[in-house]
Amino acid sequence: MSQKHILLVDDEDDIREVAGITLEAVGGWRVSTARSGSEGVAKAIAERPDAILLDVMMPGIDGPTTFGLLQAEPSTREIPVILLTAKAQGADLRYFAELGVAGVLTKPFDPMSLPERVAEVLAAAAERSRVEKAE
Amino acid sequence: MPAAVEAVWQRSREQTAGRIETLEEAIGAMLDHSLSEDLRARAERDAHKLAGSLGMFGFPRGSEIARELEQALAAPAPSQAFHLAELALALSAEIESRPAGPEENGDGDAPPADGRALLLVGPDPELIERLSAEALERNFRPRSAATSAGAHELLAMEPPDAAVFDVNFAEGGADEALKLIEDLTGREPPIPVVVLTGSEALLDRVEVSRRGGRGFVQRTRPAAQVIDAVSATMERSDSARFKLLAVDDDPAISDALEALLAPSGMAITTLNDPLRFWEVLAEVAPDLLVLDLDMPKLDGIDLCRAVRTDERFGQLPVLFLTGRTDADSVQRIFEAGADDYVNKPIVGPELVTRILNRLERIKLFRDLAERDGLTGVATRRRATAVLDDFLAMSDRFDQPVSFALFDLDHFKQLNDRLGHTAGDAALRRLGEMFMDAFRGEDVIGRWGGEEFVVGMYGMARDDGVQRIAEVLESLRREEFTSGEGASSRLSFSAGVAEYPRDGGDLHALYRAADDALYTAKAAGRNRVLPVGSKVGAAPECPDVVVVEDDPMLAGVLIDSLETRGYRTRWIDDGQEAVSALAGASPEVSPALIVLDVDLPGLDGLSVLRRLARDDVLRSTRVIMLTARSGEAEVLEALELGAYDHVAKPFSVPVLMQRIRRTLKR
Repeated sequence: MSQKHILLVDDEDDIREVAGITLEAVGGWRVSTARSGSEGVAKAIAERPDAILLDVMMPGIDGPTTFGLLQAEPSTREIPVILLTAKAQGADLRYFAELGVAGVLTKPFDPMSLPERVAEVLAAAAERSRVEKAE
Repeated sequence: MPAAVEAVWQRSREQTAGRIETLEEAIGAMLDHSLSEDLRARAERDAHKLAGSLGMFGFPRGSEIARELEQALAAPAPSQAFHLAELALALSAEIESRPAGPEENGDGDAPPADGRALLLVGPDPELIERLSAEALERNFRPRSAATSAGAHELLAMEPPDAAVFDVNFAEGGADEALKLIEDLTGREPPIPVVVLTGSEALLDRVEVSRRGGRGFVQRTRPAAQVIDAVSATMERSDSARFKLLAVDDDPAISDALEALLAPSGMAITTLNDPLRFWEVLAEVAPDLLVLDLDMPKLDGIDLCRAVRTDERFGQLPVLFLTGRTDADSVQRIFEAGADDYVNKPIVGPELVTRILNRLERIKLFRDLAERDGLTGVATRRRATAVLDDFLAMSDRFDQPVSFALFDLDHFKQLNDRLGHTAGDAALRRLGEMFMDAFRGEDVIGRWGGEEFVVGMYGMARDDGVQRIAEVLESLRREEFTSGEGASSRLSFSAGVAEYPRDGGDLHALYRAADDALYTAKAAGRNRVLPVGSKVGAAPECPDVVVVEDDPMLAGVLIDSLETRGYRTRWIDDGQEAVSALAGASPEVSPALIVLDVDLPGLDGLSVLRRLARDDVLRSTRVIMLTARSGEAEVLEALELGAYDHVAKPFSVPVLMQRIRRTLKR
């Protein structure tokens, strides 16, 4: 099986760098990065990653808008997206969940356990969609 | 944290600091009611970024604080400003709590980051290696350089907490080393310098101590002893520093205090657990206590009340840090016996200023007890304490201590002639001159009336005489005037004793020095005599004969020599010199002849030839005064058996040093 590929969209250099390091080293992902929503959409279309980790608060196109663009594009609609947010209040979380993302991870994250959490979220989302399809 | 992530953190520290600065700026503007929408939005965004990233770098608390700031900055309420300032401060403290630079990788050789930096300067790699190893053992961070230039480079990177010099003063480089020593000891606070001593010929202790160098130790001593001396010297300079104890249950605040006040050079102890208060208070014996008003278990008010009723610490100045400035709280603070309070959120320049002001006042009080009001030198009590300390160090490190006792000459007449105001002015000036001449570590005290003492660690008797004589010479150059314009010149007489050879304790030293002082007075005053000097003009048995035809130069030399307690005779003609000094049984046999090359009657080299022929050089040493261009002369003089030569024009201190050296061996 070929190496799984994740696209990391965040305007923060530090976060892209740290998350990239541990997703590669610990999670075994192939990682590509984008520093804005529009770059993220372009790369998602071009690279077809297996998953996208998407920051919520970015200048220009923010995370939820980017997610909307990815949903509108047939070639990226099926890619599971995990939102990454520093705003972890109940109301925000409910809003993000309703968007239809695969999951939400909060910042700050522990770099070492990030790959595991990403894997958990993706597994849970896959399970949900399997159940939905079965219904 | 994985090294790769740590590396990212090190790169983003600056950005983090910049973001915290934006927060501080915004909060400052809130306090001023001048927060613009643009700044608010930037601050909110930066708080958001911090909240999102700090935890990732191992600052979970930093993220929490940043998140709280972010929420508050979304819709800032002026009433929250103080609270936010406190948060911003805690945030900085949180970040500062981790040192810059890569984390220790657990390698046993890596020095602990909290050790005190010790600069080792010396050309012998083996010795420096031994000292480094020992210093590491003792939790220092050794940094070594083979040359003064190398040491300069190290200094530029990090000022050390102490330095050890092993300098070969004979082979050039002495000037550089001395300059470096002077630079270190002249800093505020001074950096203690220990100088290793080997062959005495290579080290001019007088010159070193004039630059403030300290704590002489034999270089052949085990490394452990050298480092002992460093610790002892540091301890002594520590005891001169102000000590501050801060009690605050919030480590962020105490860390911030430490960071803010460290540059002032004071010794800061912080305590986060009020229950250990008494134990730590007794241990630290601070000059100033800083208390937090609100602490769990035992609050600042309780502690302050208790301190005020304590016999030992009842007078200790207390400064409160408080988040509350309502009238009630302030009243409670002062009722408990506090001296001042500072509003906690603004723990910044204001706190530093207040603490420094407070310390200025304490310093004033301390000075009242330890400094003589008129002359500014130490009181007898203080001087005694320091001298006792010197004697203990001397026992430990096998170094001499010079003890000088001196007394103004004809002081009563000065008072009578010019009035007491002029007398006081003279004493004050004398105090100034001594304090200028004796930097930092020597102790100079007023013993009573016009009698003073000087203690010089690491100085043998002759070196002590030299240093005191230098002050006497500059005093003689000064003119003291009364209000009416009458003027007078002053001098003093001094006796110098050496510990332990002239007395085994301070009392015995004092008696020995007093004897020498009496001898100096009897010999005509205006001179500095070591213990054991003989009285009397005794032209037939002088210590030094000066053969020099220039009466001005001869006068200066004779004067300098007599000031230092040497008995002298002056001869101004070569022929006369031969008849007095040469022959089978010479009329005079001094220990030393200072012989000019250019003489009437018979030139200096011919005189020297005769002295050599008659075997006078067996018991008498000769220093030739030569012309700068006369290399051939110098060679010939040395071949004939002259002990040393000094080229004209020379400075008197240099010649005096050579004379001292010549007579010592």
